[in-house]
Amino acid sequence: MTGDTVTAMRRACIAAVLLAVAATPAHAYEFWLRSQTIGQAYQLREYRLVGPDLFLGRRRYTQTLALRIWDVGDFARRRREARLPDHGLRISWQSYLRVDHDFGNFGNGKISIANNRRRDALDVIPELDESLIDLDLLYGYLELSGIADDRMTLRLGRVLADDGWGTTAVDGAAARLELPQPLAISASAGLRVRAKSPLGISAFELDGTSGAGCREYVEAATPGTGTWKLIDRNRVIENTRFSSDFEYCPQREALQPTVGLAIATSRTRRFGAELGYRRTWSSTVGLIGAVDRLDVADRGLYPNEFGQAPGRGVNEEHLHARLHGELAHGDLAIQPFGNARFSILHAAIDRLDAGVRLHDGAHSLEPTVEYFLPTFDGDSIFNVFSIEPTTDVRLGYRYDGVVRATASGWLRRYAQADGSAHSGGLEAGVERTITRALRTRADALWDDGYGGRRVGGSGEAAWRARDTMWLRGRVVVLGVAADDRPRYVTSSTVVSSTWKLGDAVALHTVIEADYDQLHALQTRVIGVLDLAFAPEP
Amino acid sequence: MTMRLARYLPILAILAIVAGLAGLGTAVLADGRSDDRSDDRPDEWSPIVYPLQRLPLIFSHGKHLARGATCVTCHPSAAQSRSAVDNLIPTEVQCRACHPIDRADPERIVAGAPPAQCRACHAGWQPNLPVERVYLTPSPLKFAHAAHTKTACTTCHGDLAHVALATTRQLPTMASCLRCHTSGAEERRCADCHLAKLGGLLETEFAHGSLVPHHTGLGDAHAAGFAKDHRQEARQVNATCTACHDQSMCLGCHQGVTKPMEFHPGNYVLTHSVDARRGKPDCSACHRAQSFCVGCHERSGVGMRVNTDFNTVDPQRAFHPAGWASRSGGANRHAGEARRNVTACASCHREEDCLSCHSAEAGALRASPHPRGWRASAKCRALDRGNRRMCLRCHVTQAELGCDWSAGP
Repeated sequence: MTGDTVTAMRRACIAAVLLAVAATPAHAYEFWLRSQTIGQAYQLREYRLVGPDLFLGRRRYTQTLALRIWDVGDFARRRREARLPDHGLRISWQSYLRVDHDFGNFGNGKISIANNRRRDALDVIPELDESLIDLDLLYGYLELSGIADDRMTLRLGRVLADDGWGTTAVDGAAARLELPQPLAISASAGLRVRAKSPLGISAFELDGTSGAGCREYVEAATPGTGTWKLIDRNRVIENTRFSSDFEYCPQREALQPTVGLAIATSRTRRFGAELGYRRTWSSTVGLIGAVDRLDVADRGLYPNEFGQAPGRGVNEEHLHARLHGELAHGDLAIQPFGNARFSILHAAIDRLDAGVRLHDGAHSLEPTVEYFLPTFDGDSIFNVFSIEPTTDVRLGYRYDGVVRATASGWLRRYAQADGSAHSGGLEAGVERTITRALRTRADALWDDGYGGRRVGGSGEAAWRARDTMWLRGRVVVLGVAADDRPRYVTSSTVVSSTWKLGDAVALHTVIEADYDQLHALQTRVIGVLDLAFAPEP
Repeated sequence: MTMRLARYLPILAILAIVAGLAGLGTAVLADGRSDDRSDDRPDEWSPIVYPLQRLPLIFSHGKHLARGATCVTCHPSAAQSRSAVDNLIPTEVQCRACHPIDRADPERIVAGAPPAQCRACHAGWQPNLPVERVYLTPSPLKFAHAAHTKTACTTCHGDLAHVALATTRQLPTMASCLRCHTSGAEERRCADCHLAKLGGLLETEFAHGSLVPHHTGLGDAHAAGFAKDHRQEARQVNATCTACHDQSMCLGCHQGVTKPMEFHPGNYVLTHSVDARRGKPDCSACHRAQSFCVGCHERSGVGMRVNTDFNTVDPQRAFHPAGWASRSGGANRHAGEARRNVTACASCHREEDCLSCHSAEAGALRASPHPRGWRASAKCRALDRGNRRMCLRCHVTQAELGCDWSAGP
């Protein structure tokens, strides 16, 4: 028996004793879960201008598990059994886990690069990593509610934070405290979830590549005359199947501490307002690795001969405000709303919208104005580019009676110093429930201006054939004349079914067939096994 | 001083808007604390919360109250009731306390006494035929009359002095409940009154229909087209979405791996370029351009890194039209397009592509990507103060950094 084995056995014994001492009586807790098993098979094109396109197979398998465990510790049991409203400490767990894997050659295949060399697609396009194979924890936190006489709620773990324009996940804590009416304060702190976080996904990251990209600054003999070069391409390459062998961007792996604070109205009816702040920053990557690797002076990832590289940089810093109200005059409800976000990092308002919803019986009308200025991760050079905002005006109408109808028109203005451009469109849809088992819908679309013109319509029917069988069909025809591209007409037919196999278990299948003059017929098949099925209303 | 003021103007504007609408809020709050039920709207009695009833009876609360009857006279068990399932409608036994009913004599009339004939209460009653039944489906609510004994009956049920047969219209609406339940956290916890299923989410599916929020003033009206456009509802402060929906339902679409069929039209892989170029709808609501878009574009051969037929200077085969980009002072149409929607550029191009021209690095083309008046702008100072790393990508020497230097382009 080797020394390592003895050590391992000793550790196992200590762990077993600790578990036995710490073990408490088993409890069974109330839980809810929603699980979906999704299989998709379809082909995408690798476009060729000379000769026929190649086809790339995507065979994706996705497994999701949403889990809620309620009243961990039975703190709320007595009040629940006495049919009293919740009060006092309650502990729950909520999480959403996803496994995603693409078996097809879209992610796993080879690709040609310069000089007709063949490489793994993933090595050349590391972004494919997002869907090649992933185990993602989209959120997962322990919630302690009912603290301090029901005035405080605390969440610990991977929590979601939302400022009205984007949701991000933070590994840390979030708390909400009810102040004397009508105010509440909420705060969150932790590390922003990135693709490189444990069980992390890139979808929560800000857009904009890191400041370093995948290059590092290599000093020259004369300070200030160095150049940016690809990072250490001479290092030993290991052929790993599920990550890029070449891509190495240390600034993208830097931890991003995030804090958020918001004060909002609470326990008010027909009025709500919130003012919030969020900041994300990261330390500047210095030397790559522990030691100076280069033959020349190496002062770090960024130019730093004169100490000009900052110790840290802000990735995002926002102030946001949102508010809404409701005034009623008889059957008429007037609901004004406004949302704004000010990027402190850019010294500019980057999101703004305001409007009012007029609701009278089955009719509602909603004029809105929206302003949008693209902003990126603070490391991105796109932030310093000449980028102009857009302004949208939109008028929406809804009718919610025996027939349900929607109609909207919009106009977008692209402001530019050398002249503005516009685009606009109209959309309308009518939905009617013919019988309890049959529902139909028709939509029409027209838009034009910057970007191109599209004219089309769609028809849809949903039929409950049996108590355990739902069938749906949809046909879309669209004429497209994109700027600088040939005109074409495309049609798409989607047939889907839901077969209820048992209590809360259903099998959904979707078949999509698309036809257009450029590509002829394309098909797509999706199957979903839903283990928490609830029929649509 | 002026610069400083300009920097904080947007913040002051936001604060001014908030302060302005705070006045509106205060007014609405004061309005909301009114005790009478006169502003209950007809559409606030949900047929799901209060299922349709069948009451084939002749009855007048008004007449009974006028003759001195009180609520407990006919509803004696109400004060002890702890559940909305309890049937508090008086039975014939309670009626007999005043009405000399005799089933053996359906036409009985007693002088000076209240009516005792069967047809006096049961409309259309005929001898030897079954009495038309009363159907009352229990309300799917949690409610304890016993916890509300200090509240006058009229607070919730209104004044019945002029009401004949009481129906669901004499039951409290959510709006009237929330007039009292304003202090504390209970207003935010829907499951205090509505039935919850395992996991704490509200039970929304019932035999008589689906419970869908409808014009409640809490920011959750599910009208037509709601699945496609619900951002305003979701943005509302203290939105109550999570009472019924698990957060995974949001992420299933917004960070999902399958395409919701009703959102993008069919064949969207082909037609999405129009939307992407316009930047409408906002792709970033569900997708991150630099991982979602780039991966697919590059793999499809519409990119920069692979051996693609599109990556060529031949205008007949190039992805971009002629005059798109020139290093030698020719047409540079890409500049205007990038100003309109640089996100579309980022869905294929890395920053390094831009830096091959737009860099102040030694030996680079030194084409400035900055807008006019950049160096003196508040944006330049704010970005430089917040994160100088992005500046260092092009500007290396101390003399070129910051927003006050004057040399160079």
